[in-house]
This record gives sequence, C-alpha cells and structure tokens, in this order.
Amino acid sequence: MKAIIIGSGLGGLLSAAKLSKAGYEVDVFERLPIIGGRFTNIQYKGFELSTGALHMIPHGPTGPLARLLEEVGANVKIIRGKPVTVIRITRKRGDTDYKFGYKDLLFENFKTPFSILNRIKLMYYAISTRKDPPTGKSFEQWCKEHLDQDWTYRISDAFFGWSVSLRGADVPVEEAFAIIENLYRYGGPGVPMGGCKAVTDALVDVIRAHGGNIHTSSEVTGLKTVDSKVTGIIANGFEHNANIVISNIGHPETARMLSETTGINGLKAYLEKVSELKPSAGIKICIQSDKPLIGHGGVLLTPYAKRVNGINEVTNIDPALSPEGKHLTMSHQCVHWSDLDNLEKEIELGLEDIKEIFPEKEYEVLMIQSYSNGWPVNRSSSGADLKGTTPLSNLYVVGDGAKGKGGIEVEGIALGVRETLHNILGKEML
Amino acid sequence: MQSDGESMKVNKNCVGCGQCAAFCIVDAIDIKGKAIITCTCTDCRKCIPYCPVKALEA
Repeated sequence: MKAIIIGSGLGGLLSAAKLSKAGYEVDVFERLPIIGGRFTNIQYKGFELSTGALHMIPHGPTGPLARLLEEVGANVKIIRGKPVTVIRITRKRGDTDYKFGYKDLLFENFKTPFSILNRIKLMYYAISTRKDPPTGKSFEQWCKEHLDQDWTYRISDAFFGWSVSLRGADVPVEEAFAIIENLYRYGGPGVPMGGCKAVTDALVDVIRAHGGNIHTSSEVTGLKTVDSKVTGIIANGFEHNANIVISNIGHPETARMLSETTGINGLKAYLEKVSELKPSAGIKICIQSDKPLIGHGGVLLTPYAKRVNGINEVTNIDPALSPEGKHLTMSHQCVHWSDLDNLEKEIELGLEDIKEIFPEKEYEVLMIQSYSNGWPVNRSSSGADLKGTTPLSNLYVVGDGAKGKGGIEVEGIALGVRETLHNILGKEML
Repeated sequence: MQSDGESMKVNKNCVGCGQCAAFCIVDAIDIKGKAIITCTCTDCRKCIPYCPVKALEA
C-alpha cells in the first residue's frame, strides 16, 4: 500500500511516521526547502527561533502529542517547567494595568480574584457543566450569564488568546469546556528539548528508518481522481500514484485542487463548508536578554496587558535555544480578524505591553513574527474544525485545519491525526 | 546578476512570519507586520523559496 502526504508540517509527519511504521510505502511532498512547516526552528542571530509554535507543547510530556510521539518511537524529551503556569495580576485590586506594580499568582489559584459569590458558583459549575455541558453560544456569552465579573473576561481572554489565539467571544462554549477538561486530564505545557525542530526531526528519523521519503522543494499542484477516489498527485509536473493521500495543507487548499473536478458526491457542500473556515491570527515577539525576564520555564499569562496574552522563556528549560549567557523570551498575542488591517498598531501595543510587564529590565527585540491568512496560527480557528475526511473516500486532511475536539494547537493536531489514522488503519491503531 | 537590491519585491501575500529574514544571508530583511527589503539586499534571491506564501518576487 502506498500513501502520499502533502506537506511536511507536524500533522503530515505524524501521519507519515505512523503509516510507515504500519508498513505503508510513504512519500511526503513538501513545497518549501525545509521540513517541519510551522513547527520547526529557524536560526537567527545565534538564537533558535521558530517558524510558528513557541517551542512549547500544550500538555507537555503527558498529552496526546507526547503519547503519539512515543507510540511511533520518536525520541523527544519534553520537560514540564515548574511552576507550569503563572498569572501576572495587578498589585492592587481595581488597577487595570501593570503601571502601579504587579503580583504573580500560580495558575492553580486563578479563582482568588473572583468575588466570594462567584467562587461558590464556580464550584457548582465545575460539577454541573461536566454533567450537562453548555452549548450553542460563545464562551464569553456563557461567562456573561454565569460569572459576570471583569476578572472572568480578563483571564479567559488571556488563556484562550495564549492557547488558541482567540478571544473568549470567538471560542464556542463547547470547545472552551472541552479544552478546560483536557487541561485537567493531561496537565500543563512542556518544552521539547531542542525546540520544535527536535520533534519534527525525530519524526523524520522514524519515517526514514521505515523506508519513507521526504521530498523538499516539491510542490503538489494537483490531485488525480477517478470517480470518488483519489489515485495520485502531481508534484513538480510529475504524476505519482497512491492508494491514499493525506493532505496537511488544510481543507481550503485541498478543496481548491478539487474545485474543477466533477461527478463527486458531496463535493459542492464540502466546498461551501470549507469556504466558511476562518484561520486564527497572532503576533509573536521574540526577545533576547542577558538576565532572565521570567526566570522559570512555564507560561506567564498577562490578563492585564492591552494585547499580549502570555509569554514564555524556554531557555530556562533548554539553554541551548540561545547563545551562551542569553535568554530567549517569546510573547504571543491574539489578533482579532477586524484588526488584521492594522497589524503595525497591534505590534506597537504588544511592544508597549512588554515594557510594562518587564519594567526596568533590559532586553532587546530580536524579531516580530505575525501569522494570518495563508500562514496563520491555526488554519481553522479552534471549535470550527472540520473532520479529517473529504468527499473522496481515500483523501484525508490532517493538521491545524482538522484538529480534534478540545485539542489546543499541536495537541489538536495529534488528536486529529489519531482519528484519521484510526479511519485508515482500523483497530490496530488503538 | 547582482544589483543594488532594487528588484526584490514583497507582494500582498506576505503575513510577516519572518521566515525570509532568517534565511537572508546579508541580513537585509526587516519584519514588522510584513517583510521590508532594505538597501542591504543584493538581489541574490536566496530567500524566495523559503517564503511559505509566495510573497517574494524578483
């Protein structure tokens, strides 16, 4: 059996590793000269920056991605920092920014700033929402109806902005509760030693060890179909046949290659659904400093910043990600779709935030990276993901445009890959 | 075929991901919301294939 994978991002490599291990003949086609998509490293001024993700795995060594990596035999060490997550709040209740000082709160104590009444309500909702999960509205709307307090919106915007690059108002309540549930089930984030590239490199090793090939600088421009099946792809002008094709380039790009195909059941409805998908956008500011700005390898959530949702300093866990004696700190801020035309202003607000969050600290901005549209944070914003199937029975989609329910970023990719591979391989996958 | 960097262009596809800047061998690309080609550019075109959204044109 032969499988072709379009795109060598994390979803493509995970699928290729699993299939090559299951005995498939696997060829991965990658348009760029580098492997790893938005989950690898780029070297800049001696620092290991990244093409996308912030060198972090949302559920660390015990999450769905770590489990899948272990299953395929990818050798990656993921370290969970201590503290795992810290929330920076204002020094005094009632302050609305960090200008007059701050206090750091362990994530476990996120309930402290709630009113006594809301703390009691929270205990009740923690049980009742599990039994009967709310549906049909945004997380923010649910909060308005149940926990209406300034802190509710701040902490939910910071948390969802950091984890899925969306505001609480843009996360469906079903997805928000699934994410919270997973947080309790799997635990908090960790850093892969060596950064994102350590993960994708380990997968490449697995694929090659099982006879698979990865072709870089090889753009797939078309799909070959017969009736309701895909029979192969066209890359760099050459045809390659396959029994199954897995696309890691998102539903819209995959659909585009099918748009002129006729006679496929359900294609029109699929194209319509795909056209409604909205990628999520964000800005990452990469900072270098001699002394640590955060001082631990966990996440610092910043609910009182204007734009920045959270920051990490991965060199507290893996010092090799920066030149000796230097630290690498990265902030993330969600960019709302209505602000995409004013990216420069959004960047300025992010830079002002960092100044306020780290007063009197010395640092230098290395690079400001933004992600949207064709190279986004997520190809499909969380909660709106389509399944990994297409109207063609042997054509699948994986990646951050087909994340599994409640899966933050790469954890969602791992959950989506698991479901798709289960469809292909059946029970042997479990 | 090297000139003074006047022919490299950034088209509207650019999202500002900075990938080109990391692969530029003369540090000629600034990033702020999108890529900005500075006068240091030698038109070597090495950055072009690294752009994930085909935003670089010579």
